[in-house]
Order: sequence, then C-alpha cells, then structure tokens
Amino acid sequence: MSELVTRTVVEEAAPTGVEPPAQDLHPNRTRAVIALARFEARELLMQIPVLVFLLLYVAYTGWGMFNGREGMDDYPVLHDVDRSTQTAPLLLALVLFVSINRAVLRSRRQGTDRHFDVLVMEPWRRSLAHALSAVPFAVFTALVVGFEFTWAALKPGAVGHGSLAELLVGPLSILLAGALGVLVARSIPFTFAVPPFVIGMYVLTTLVAASTQGTHWVQWLAPVVTEEGAHPFPSDLLGRPAAWHVLYLVGLIVLLLCLALLINGGRTPRIKAITVLALAVMAQGIAGQAPGDSAALIAARAKASATPEKVQTCVAHERSTYCAYPEWTGQTADWAEVVQRVQSLAGGPASAERLTVRQRVDARSGLESDSALEPAKAPGVVTVGTRWGGNRIPEFAVGVASVLVTGDETSSGEVCDARSVIIMWLALGSESHPLTMLRHVRLDDSITGGGLALAPTNPVSMNAAQTEVIKELLQKPRYSVIPKVKAHWAELTSPKTTTAQVAQLLGVPTPTGPGALSVKTCEE
Amino acid sequence: MTPTVSASGLTLRYGGTVALDDVSLRLSEGVTGLLGPNGAGKTTLLRVLATAVPADRGAFTVLGHDPGTTSGRLDVRRALGYLPQTPAFHPDFSAFEFVDYVAILKELTDRSARHREVRRVLEAVDLSDVRGKRIKRLSGGMRQRVGLAAALVGDPGFLVLDEPTVGLDPEQRMRFRELIAESGVGRTVLLSTHQTEDVAMLCHRVIVMVRGSIRFEGTPAELTARAAGRVWSSTARDPGARAGWRTGTGSFRNVGDPPKGADLLEPTLEDGYLLTLDGEPAEVAA
Repeated sequence: MSELVTRTVVEEAAPTGVEPPAQDLHPNRTRAVIALARFEARELLMQIPVLVFLLLYVAYTGWGMFNGREGMDDYPVLHDVDRSTQTAPLLLALVLFVSINRAVLRSRRQGTDRHFDVLVMEPWRRSLAHALSAVPFAVFTALVVGFEFTWAALKPGAVGHGSLAELLVGPLSILLAGALGVLVARSIPFTFAVPPFVIGMYVLTTLVAASTQGTHWVQWLAPVVTEEGAHPFPSDLLGRPAAWHVLYLVGLIVLLLCLALLINGGRTPRIKAITVLALAVMAQGIAGQAPGDSAALIAARAKASATPEKVQTCVAHERSTYCAYPEWTGQTADWAEVVQRVQSLAGGPASAERLTVRQRVDARSGLESDSALEPAKAPGVVTVGTRWGGNRIPEFAVGVASVLVTGDETSSGEVCDARSVIIMWLALGSESHPLTMLRHVRLDDSITGGGLALAPTNPVSMNAAQTEVIKELLQKPRYSVIPKVKAHWAELTSPKTTTAQVAQLLGVPTPTGPGALSVKTCEE
Repeated sequence: MTPTVSASGLTLRYGGTVALDDVSLRLSEGVTGLLGPNGAGKTTLLRVLATAVPADRGAFTVLGHDPGTTSGRLDVRRALGYLPQTPAFHPDFSAFEFVDYVAILKELTDRSARHREVRRVLEAVDLSDVRGKRIKRLSGGMRQRVGLAAALVGDPGFLVLDEPTVGLDPEQRMRFRELIAESGVGRTVLLSTHQTEDVAMLCHRVIVMVRGSIRFEGTPAELTARAAGRVWSSTARDPGARAGWRTGTGSFRNVGDPPKGADLLEPTLEDGYLLTLDGEPAEVAA
C-alpha cells in the first residue's frame, strides 16, 4: 500500500505553470458562508455513520417501495402515504445532529479555534455554515420523499391526495437536527454532552407524552407526529394541522439557529430581528396546531362512521350497488369484479342476489383508532374497508361469500358449522392459487388445523375437519365442483349439515377427525 | 517607506502582570525579528497585532486599517497571515483540505480561484506532492509548512509568525528559513523567535522585548554593533562579566565591560542581544 494515505480531494482544474497570487477574492460574505457550508457538508458525507445511515434510509425506503408486500401497496392511500414518509428520515436526522455537533466542536477539540478566531469569518458565521451544511441532506431527503410519494401516486390504484405540508416534515426534521446540533455545541461545548442530551430528550418526550395522556398540543410539539390507525380515513376526516406544523417547524428551526448565532457572538440587528420573527412564527404555528379536533370535524367523523350513506357516492355494477367515500369511487369496479366472481360460484337465490357493498370506517375514536368494523345489520350488505390490494381482496371475498351464505354480516359472525366450507370455497374457488390464498387469508398463515379466516368485519372460523374438506375442494378443478354446489345449495348452506355430509355432497373424501360428524354450534 | 504596521502606546495587562507596556513600533516590508526572553510579551504583541486580543490602551494600523472598528478589524484580518506558536491542525484533513478550509475562513469564495491559490501556496512550501495526505501522517516539519501555507494563503500583506522554527531539526529549520525569507519579499513579516541565528540569517530589522517593553529596535548589524569591544575571552569565568559561558575550546566567552588588556573577540548578534537584556535571564538557542 502506498505510504501516501490520500483523501478524496475535489479540486478544480490542475495548475498550469507558475500562478500568480489570487486577486480580489472577497466579493461576498454570504458566498463565503455557503462555501464553508459546502465544505462541511462534504465532510459530513465522509463520516462513516452519516454515509451508513444515508444508505440505510435509501435502502429502507427502496425496500418499502419495491418489495410489493404481496400487492398491498398497489392501492396506496396518498393522504396516508405522505405521512408515512416522515419517520424514516428521523434516524438520519439523529446521526446528523451528532455529526454536526462534533463538526462544530472540531476546532475546540483540536485546538484550531485560537487560530481560526483571527481569520476573517467570525465564529457565528461558521456556526451558520455548520447549520447550512444540513441543507444538502434535507434536499436529498426531499428528493427521496418526493420520489417515494410520486411512485405511490403513479400507481393506477392510488386514491386520495397528499399534502405538501406533510411531505415537508421529513426534510425539515433534517434541518432541525442541524440547527439543534449547532445550538447544543455552542451552549454546551463538549462532545460528551450529546449522549446525555439525546437520552434526556427521549426521556422528556416520553414523560411528557405519558403525563399528558396524549394531549394534542403537547403531542404536536414533536417534529414528527405520526397518527396511524387500522383503516385510512377519507382526507376530509384527517384534521391534521400539517400546514401549521410546518410553520411551527420552520419557526423552531430558525429560532434555534438564531439562538446559536446569538450565543456565538452574532448579535447583529438583523439576527436579533430574525430571532423575534422566528419566535412569532413558531408561536403562530403552535397556536394554529394546538386546538385539536374541532367540533365540526368530530361531527363529520361520526357522520361518516355511523351513517356513511350520507357522504358516499353509490354506483351500480351488474345487479349490485357499490357505495364508496368520494376518494374511493374508482375502486368500485375492483370490488364488483370480486363480487361477480364469488357470486358466479353460488347456487340458489344467492347467485342472483342484489348485494349492497358499502365502504366503512370507524373514525369516531380519531386517527389512531384500531377498532374493528362492526358488522352491518341490514340483509345483503357487505362491508369493504378503505384498504385494498393484497390480502384485503380475498378477505373481502370471504365477506361477500359469508353474506351470500348467511344473508347478512351479523349472522355470518355466528358461522361455526360446516357452512364455513362453502363460504371458503366460494371466496377462494375462482382464485388461480387457491391454497396460497387460503394460507394468506387465515390468521395463522397455515392450511392445516382449525383457524380463522379474516374478513372486513367478522372472521369465519373453521375446524381441522372443515379445513381438510376446504383444501380438498380447492385442489379440485372448480368446474367439477360448481355443478354440485349449485345442485346442493340448500343443504350446503344449512346450519344443520355436518362437515362429513358436505364432503359427501361435494364428492371429496369424508374427514374422520373430531367435528366431522356433528353439527357444531358456536357455543360449543 | 510607508510602514505596513504602525503601533503606538500598546498596553495590555493580565491581572497584575503587564504583558505589554506602552509598545510603539513601525514595521515595513521585509522580515523583522522579534527577540526576547520567555515572558517578554512577544506572543502577546503578536496576538494583539493579529487582532486575537485587543490592547487595553494604544492603537495600531495594518496597511492603513484600524482594527478598532468592526470593518477595520475585518480589513486587518483580510491582510493578515498568522502562524501561531503551536499551530493546531485537523488531523483527518489532508494538507489541501486544511489550507482550503483556512482559505474559506479567509473568505476566498470563488472555488476555482481558491483552489488555484491553495495549490500555489502548497507549492510554495514544497508540499504539492503530499497535498492529499492526511495531516496526521505528515512529519512535524511538513505540518509546520502546512501552517505556513495556511498563513500565506490569500497573499496577505502582513505575516505574523510566532516561533515557527521551534521543534524543527536543523535541516527542516534551514528549509523553513528559506521559506520565510521568500515570504518576506513584497510583504511585511514579523517573526518571533528565540533563535538569534534566525534573526541573523533572515531579518532586515530586529526588535528586542523585555518585560513587555521594546528594549531595542534596529538592524541586526546595529544590535551586533552594541557588543563591539564588549566581548572577550578568558581562561576562567570572569566575575565582572554580565554573561559568560564555556566554549567548545575550553575558554570562556564573556560579554559586558571587559577588563583592561582583555582578549577582545568579534561580536555576534547574540552578544548584542545578551547585552541588550541587561541582566534579564535570557533563553537563547544559537
């Protein structure tokens, strides 16, 4: 290995011959700060932790975009996607906070400050440059966020619309880390101050969150406020003060930076004025984001949850009706395709039944609600959620099949008997890989033994014997099963029929295990 | 000749200690040596002139700029190259990066012009070949040259060098003297040193400081001339001499007022310097 250990030096063109001293090199002081910011940004990029976290951020985002999650990302809800871009940059922000803090303290640590203090650029301008060195990383984050969101928005199944304010939070958290790193370095000029500071901030945040029981205005003082529940809401029910939050973050970043500059000797009238302005902007942002959910918003959420028909648009496909919140009306054709596929396998009156597929959310507990959707009581009504794609499709098919067999969703919750066999066959019989779908739709991700098959509301339970019959049926060509189903529809959908009888009617081996010969009830 | 630096009445106290006591001086183009024992106030004077610390009293200008005002101080700093007594570096920076960093702090903003300038000064101190090498891997002499390059970048009109040859081996010291001599062409250099040899070889003028005051200001020849007829040889240390020391031949070299019939010797700059100290403990390394 060469004795010369070289660093990557990005130089302008190589010298040619003897050069005279540079002349007139001081045209603009701001340009000098920007030049130093560029230099420091390059130094940051050469720090291994920064590089590693940068790559991790890109890899994590790329993995989220390209792994597909078995189709669940094919129907992104854009006003949730924008919010989901905010968390990943936080790790990058943390490492930048530490690295910028160390960079600010470099001169002190290595003893060059006495020398540098007699150079033209004042220490407070150097602090400004350190804070600005985070800008390229913020721009990079903005590009990643923009790409991530655009990628989702360009998918044919995308619904809703994103918010620019939500998309800005990730890049702003990077700038916040830069300003905070400089302020901490100028306030406590020791590198060992950083770990206790980070731990202290974490403990403080946790204590505040615990003591206030999620008080809205305190919660929104954090740079990133992710609120995610089980089901995406229509955008008009979100009620997130994203624009105010961006205003708050901008004010906070500038305020922290100005405080660092003031501490560092930059007590110019301009900086003092900007400090006051930043304080006002931050206060305005806090005031704007503080009030929480308005009465009108709560009422709108209740209305959309309890009486969705009042806010939905309904369209007819074939004999059924499909009612969706305005942003999801484009998905009704996909729902109709599933309904028609399931219904084509059914017999008796179910094959011609007019269903109403209604999209529902439960927004009454706010954005972080994880409550399951209540089954619809009305006959012939099938619930569909606000997520679509991947497992949500066979789950919806299970819901449709349940209503076709039992008449309504409430009754389908009481299916503990052999009707689960016909429900599962109706739901999955027309799939190209029905056993794979069976595994996906079951809660335990298996195709043996007893288990629960998920649906938008009530799950369908099956015992081991029923699972065996379902598997046998799903492995047979559906055209060989369809005539038998249609011919024996009444017996197959009767709660009094045993699993063994179902197997005999449909021509598959009769199971011998427990539960095969008796009529099981849910009370058993 | 118009002086580059003009100071009058500079006074600075640290608690009860007078670091500078009514110092007035005028520096013009060329290398001026600043000699004095430890604690004489040399480094304090350099730091005041480099605008690192303000004087309690007195005033000075550098190339006509008054550092007493904000804009004047910036103008002084723009005209200044400063190599501190024990220069520190960012060890993970390459030589190029460090000098480039200093150039940015001197607000040389145009990137291509700045890089040309950095290459120029690195070439001037003979470090072109190792400019990509991390500073922590450079020898002490090379680091000192990086410090000089950092001082020279931006072509300052006033160069302040605080004991730049301390710790260098003889070969490095000679090379450094050459660089300083080259640096003195077309600009004013104030060189603080313990080495009278440095002054003899480099300086067109010399200032001797003792206890915060200027004891002598003139040419090296004038300082040497102060010892004319006041240096003699003896077989034993002469108790009447102000200073005396055994030489390599076994005889003693004395400075002071020689006795009648003494074996007078040709004076050197060091003899003149010792006589100027007038009893102050001197730290001289020839």
